[in-house]
Amino acid sequence: MARKGIVAAAAAGVLLLAAFARPAKPAAAAAAECDRECLNHFVDQYLDAVVAHDPSKLPLAKNVKFTEDGVRLEPGDGLWATASGLGGYKLYFDEPAAGAAGVFALIQENGTPAILQARLKIVGMKITEIETLVARKETTAFLNTDNLTAVRPAFLETVPPADRPSRAEMVAMVGKYFDGIEQGNGDIVPFDKDCIRIENGIQTCPGSPTSPLGALSCGAQLSTKIFTYIQSISPRRFPIVDAERGLVLAIVRFNHPATSQTVEVPGRGKMTMGRYSQWPNSTQIAELFKVKDRKIKEISAVIVTQPYKAPTGWE
Amino acid sequence: MGTAPLPAAPAGPQGGSAPSSCDRSCLNSFVDQYVDALVAHDPSRLPLTKFVKYTENGQKLELGDGFWRTASGKGAYKFYVDDTEAGQVGFEGTLQEAGHPVLIALRLKVENQKISEIETIVARGQMAEGGAANLEKLGKPRAAFLEDIPPAERVSRLELIKTANRYFSGMQKDDGKGDYSFFGDDCNRLENGMQTTNNMTPFGGTTSNGTPRPAPTAKYDPATNPTTYSAGWSCRDQFRSGLLHFVSWIRDRRYMIVDQERGIVWGFGFFDHQAGDTRNFETPDGRPVTAGPTTPFTWEIAEIFKVRHGQLHEIEAVLTQGPYGMCSGWSGYEQCRSDQPQW
Repeated sequence: MARKGIVAAAAAGVLLLAAFARPAKPAAAAAAECDRECLNHFVDQYLDAVVAHDPSKLPLAKNVKFTEDGVRLEPGDGLWATASGLGGYKLYFDEPAAGAAGVFALIQENGTPAILQARLKIVGMKITEIETLVARKETTAFLNTDNLTAVRPAFLETVPPADRPSRAEMVAMVGKYFDGIEQGNGDIVPFDKDCIRIENGIQTCPGSPTSPLGALSCGAQLSTKIFTYIQSISPRRFPIVDAERGLVLAIVRFNHPATSQTVEVPGRGKMTMGRYSQWPNSTQIAELFKVKDRKIKEISAVIVTQPYKAPTGWE
Repeated sequence: MGTAPLPAAPAGPQGGSAPSSCDRSCLNSFVDQYVDALVAHDPSRLPLTKFVKYTENGQKLELGDGFWRTASGKGAYKFYVDDTEAGQVGFEGTLQEAGHPVLIALRLKVENQKISEIETIVARGQMAEGGAANLEKLGKPRAAFLEDIPPAERVSRLELIKTANRYFSGMQKDDGKGDYSFFGDDCNRLENGMQTTNNMTPFGGTTSNGTPRPAPTAKYDPATNPTTYSAGWSCRDQFRSGLLHFVSWIRDRRYMIVDQERGIVWGFGFFDHQAGDTRNFETPDGRPVTAGPTTPFTWEIAEIFKVRHGQLHEIEAVLTQGPYGMCSGWSGYEQCRSDQPQW
């Protein structure tokens, strides 16, 4: 319980900082040196350079920092050495006022598809930060790249300027999702009643009617306590808030101490929790939320299994 | 790190630990206390220094977290490696976690009868369960590991480390063209309890590349044009084949524990598999081969070497898979990236 208290306090601290760091008005209103088109161009350049195995093609800042799956590497290493082609799927999201660009993309690695999440920071028209997660079949519990054929329309819809919440409000809504998982309580999360979540290309809520829990909504799933193995979601960062499209990118670490493999699900009895409950491990997750009408409407996540409490490289 | 006692230095160590007042049985008793406390989920039972540092699979954790919450029983296999000069002890052993067998590699540093450093690798799941069962069956370390080296034949700590380091240097981007005379004819290796040299029993399953694991062959024979090394081959022939080339970088080589009396060296390191250009190479007879993992990953490894007469004989390792390029939590970034030995 003490840990939850610390986590909650930390989350509150993040919100407080965010509230001071950002103007109350939508960030997009400020003139940015690199607008959405410019940021997306950086993303495209980056993807092309990765597939070409050639970081020298990029305008990199002298002290550029690059991480892959939480580990600091030199640009050119990791996926840079193995990427063999791009897939058709690219989901862009941007926060021009912060010089922040993000993408979820399909990528081929020695001919095998994987999902790449990349975050770039642009300062003075140079790339200063590259943070990536690569969901590979070897490093994830589940993955289906075949489903990622087209970007779901909700992620592309523009939110009318008058309907755009502040950055802090957007982050607070998304933070409730992680609180809801920690507490096993879907009722505290502002879910749209038809919320859809896709993780590593697989729809995980609403559930399949044939799954052990049945076709439960995203919120109802949380309330079953089946995610009790996720003891804490910490650290949490919200590096990109795309106000124009109502998108929030969270990069977080789920911690699974594996102190129990089963849980009592109300009305269903004792159930075995997922494979993450087998031994201590963490997952690093880049999770993109579509917020519309102050509800979480869609979620798309890239998930990589990590050693227990492995750092994300950016705290 | 890097300031530990220089091997064979006649005077006291510079910047390292004070001469140890903890002999072999004292060091082993610290291991036993540790394992008892671990299984009891109670670090408060241990004599710890104020700033004791704990890592598990390369991550700094609070003592009491991680395996401390899940260890559920002791195992039968216990292999102690003592370094009375440095006040350090290594332990390879079997344990239970939620009723499943696991393997642990443990390093303790003892200062003034208190534990100041705890470094662990826990190997779990498919990569460890079968091997842990093998070690349980074995019951104790191979006898040759524990034999004393006759005093007249003992060599300096640095000489022992140099011999062990030839193993890592020879494997890194293995080209089959090195001098592999550092392997004894009787060299035999266990990795996570599985015999991965001179083993004619098929493991089954697939290689890291997803292809069926080839049946072992008794001897390395270049005329058969092998593209994957075999667990049936000797230590030396695996290196001679040049087929370990895909191990692209062996870095952060920390030789933390040396038992001069027994000729044992305990090293930590990381085996990187870059999975890019390093998949394409030539065998010593000029045959082009594409082999090895197709996605980048790293083995975090603790490897124990028996050195006699400048050769490696028994080798035993505990290893677990981690994110590509991960660090140990005990080195600086430059050391983590370097293939130079540290002691």
